[in-house]
Amino acid sequence: MLDTPIVHFDNVVKKFGSFTAVEKADFQIARGEFLAIMGSSGCGKTTTLRMLAGLEDPTEGNILLDGEKINGKPTWERDTPMVWQSLALFPFLTVQENVEFSLKMRKVPKGQRRERARKWLDRLGILEFADRNISQLSGGQRQRVALARSLVTEPKILLLDEPLSALDAHLKVRMQSVLSGLQKDLGITFVYVTHSMSEAFSMADRVVIMSRGKIEQIGTPEEIYREPRNRFVADFLGSSNVFDGSLKSSGNEVWQIETEHSSFTLKAPSEVQKTDGSPVAFAVSSENMSLAAIGTPWAGNSIEATVVGGEFAGASATVFLETDQGQELKVQKGHDELKTVDIRAGQKLLVHWLPEHCHVLPGE
Amino acid sequence: MTGNRNPLINGLLKLHITLCLIFIFAPIAGSFVFSLNSDRFPSLPLGSFSTEWYRLIWEDPLVWAGFFNTLLVGACVAAIATLLGFGGAYTDFRYKFFGKPVYLALALLPPTIPVVIMGLAMLAFLSRVSLSGNVISVIIAHGVMCSPFAMAIIRLRLSQMDPDLEAAAWNLGGNEWVTMRHVIIPFTKPAIYAALFITMAVSFDEFAVAWFVSGLNETLPVKVLGFLQGQVSPRINAIGSLAFVSSISFIVIAQLLMRNPESKPS
Amino acid sequence: MNTRPSLFSLTFSLPLLIWQLAFFLFPLAFLVALSFWTVRNFQMQPNFDTVNWVKIYSRSVFWDAYFRTLLLASFSAALISLAAFPASYAISFKLGENAKRWMIFVLIIPFFTSYLVRVYSLQVFLSDAGILNAFLGYLGLGPYSMLNNSFGTLTGYATLCLPLVILLQVFSLNFVNRDLVEAAHNMRCGRLRTVLEVIIPSAKAGLVIAGLFAFILSFGDFVSPLYLGGGNPPTLSIMITDITKSGQQWPRAAVVALTMIATLLTVAFAAIKFAYREAGK
Repeated sequence: MLDTPIVHFDNVVKKFGSFTAVEKADFQIARGEFLAIMGSSGCGKTTTLRMLAGLEDPTEGNILLDGEKINGKPTWERDTPMVWQSLALFPFLTVQENVEFSLKMRKVPKGQRRERARKWLDRLGILEFADRNISQLSGGQRQRVALARSLVTEPKILLLDEPLSALDAHLKVRMQSVLSGLQKDLGITFVYVTHSMSEAFSMADRVVIMSRGKIEQIGTPEEIYREPRNRFVADFLGSSNVFDGSLKSSGNEVWQIETEHSSFTLKAPSEVQKTDGSPVAFAVSSENMSLAAIGTPWAGNSIEATVVGGEFAGASATVFLETDQGQELKVQKGHDELKTVDIRAGQKLLVHWLPEHCHVLPGE
Repeated sequence: MTGNRNPLINGLLKLHITLCLIFIFAPIAGSFVFSLNSDRFPSLPLGSFSTEWYRLIWEDPLVWAGFFNTLLVGACVAAIATLLGFGGAYTDFRYKFFGKPVYLALALLPPTIPVVIMGLAMLAFLSRVSLSGNVISVIIAHGVMCSPFAMAIIRLRLSQMDPDLEAAAWNLGGNEWVTMRHVIIPFTKPAIYAALFITMAVSFDEFAVAWFVSGLNETLPVKVLGFLQGQVSPRINAIGSLAFVSSISFIVIAQLLMRNPESKPS
Repeated sequence: MNTRPSLFSLTFSLPLLIWQLAFFLFPLAFLVALSFWTVRNFQMQPNFDTVNWVKIYSRSVFWDAYFRTLLLASFSAALISLAAFPASYAISFKLGENAKRWMIFVLIIPFFTSYLVRVYSLQVFLSDAGILNAFLGYLGLGPYSMLNNSFGTLTGYATLCLPLVILLQVFSLNFVNRDLVEAAHNMRCGRLRTVLEVIIPSAKAGLVIAGLFAFILSFGDFVSPLYLGGGNPPTLSIMITDITKSGQQWPRAAVVALTMIATLLTVAFAAIKFAYREAGK
């Protein structure tokens, strides 16, 4: 039994009228895993979570929890507590009563209820506020009450719907470490929905990236970052430049790609098979591109582009450029490296990069 | 703001507010004063202080009968209208369904129909089903007229609720009925009390429909209408003053209840 | 969540629906049927006869009353809206938040006083030897006849409607974007012109609805025209009460009532269409 995944989404589709919120979601969540579901608003990530919680019914497909099909089982008969974006704490109950709520629903006797609630309040460091009203707590304290309230039944899985979005940056980082620590200590599964890449990538074991109801990629943060599967993921990560072209010659070592700009060389990918002449898209991370004055001799790939503007934040700067064909490029560099080139708007520069820094998008 | 530039215009505007308030409240204050005046038909200068009119209504068994009818009707109407209104408010809050606009129109329109027409329709219909001429008919009619008020008050409170709160309770293991008892009702409790008091106050003052359908079981406002039709009698002022004081107490209680709920989390 | 209504949902939605269908919609529908019934030997009989409609519509008394009621109610709506506006404007734009809240509370109080008692009290104020004439006498004016005429009726309508109209106007004025007013001043639009050309058009829908409520209330009221206006000649509502209480001619009262409903619906639709006409463009 321990080998079965705790959650299995088996070709799950969710439609609201003619609108498809989730399209053929098919994935598994391992026991004890911290899984983040990431995407912009309206991508279907919250609907996916709500289906798991039993707040929405799938239109097609099955959801299995612990090997058991749970479609149509109301949320109050599942053991899938959720931490809400609004926290949804009961304002007419005290902190302690909020935490006791789910035990009360399970008809746990009063004394035991109180004891278990206090144990969790203590564990989350808010025991001193047990008799306070919710409105008297700070944002971070409320967060902890919401966590205690969901964890008090000691579930095997915890669902979190953007729980940190209302906190300020400093508190957010602190709660992130509280959450990862808690997940490691308890050894239970966390399913965490967020629109923030930094939250997802810093806490999760695996990340699911969704857009318009479709799962674009599932993988560890490194996998996704290094090898985005398609244009959407590359764009979503925000730091890649994507080129379209067709395969001119595919050798064992290198591929030649013909694009509207010029011909580029890249290292032949081992996992992708393509015939000559078929369309190919590849991404180049903005950190792996360099800038030089026109006419500088260069052996790798290069392209001429005009500077549009720059953004200077912290230790690095991003230069935005546009090619004669109208493709936008961004190049991210340290200030030292940029000192040697003139990056005033309107300036024409040579953008260059090495063949091994090209990543073929297998999903395109 | 830019408004403070012309004190003369601002002064005139404030004078106008005062005049409007005088116009609105002179009859109300007047009835208080007249109820304690010895003259049958008061004018300037006012007659001497007297509690004669209060003594007269105190000794009038018909007034007492009317008062008990009013109280009975008011209590029943408050309970019925609040129950119906709660159901309507929750339905509007929770569900989307085909024909919802019709449902809401049916629920909320009664106060816009002139009372004379409501009275006639009720009388014609209730006498057909042999329900007119008794207290039950007044309760039925007032139930129709008061439930929109209860519904509006409770709906307003529900709209202040975090929409995730109910789902959170389900998610924590409470089914719909249990959640209703442990979350929705506690949250709307102040509004439920307010609705009880306000519908009771509305029923206390309603005379027209009650007059049409009540027959011999007159409520107090219908009795007042009878006084008004008959000879001039400052007893109306005495009854009105007492009714006003009781209505206002209900409103103040309702107000306090509405204001009291826990301060909302920001 | 699911498409089939559950026992739970029906428990909460059905009682109100059933109550209002049975005791609100059905009685009103019954009124339509009733208007075609006939009365023989003081007994109503189910029938389909247009005699009531013909009888009522062929009487000049009815049409006199109809147009008088229409005129009085229109006049009342216009007059009360005009009188209320400066007060509403001042409450919404000139008072502080606290004073505004208090004002709203004070204006709600009259809804919980007996309209009958207020009307009776007004009789004392307005009669020939009443408070107002006695007061005017000190100033060497009058006496004026203020009771049992249209002045009395309109005064009664105003007691009934003024608080509601002010409240509705205040609510709609509160929604006027304050930046618009400052922008208008900034473009050299004077105070009065700002009110006329910026504030009133912005709050138009609410102001029209307030007037509509004054019309509906005045049109249907029978207390003021009877006890302050003298009741003779009658308005439509007085006609209904007279016919109903003086015998079994309820079918004819139903004709009058249905004519009133038709008139109210027409006026309400016209007003709402006018109120939201430009907003949709």
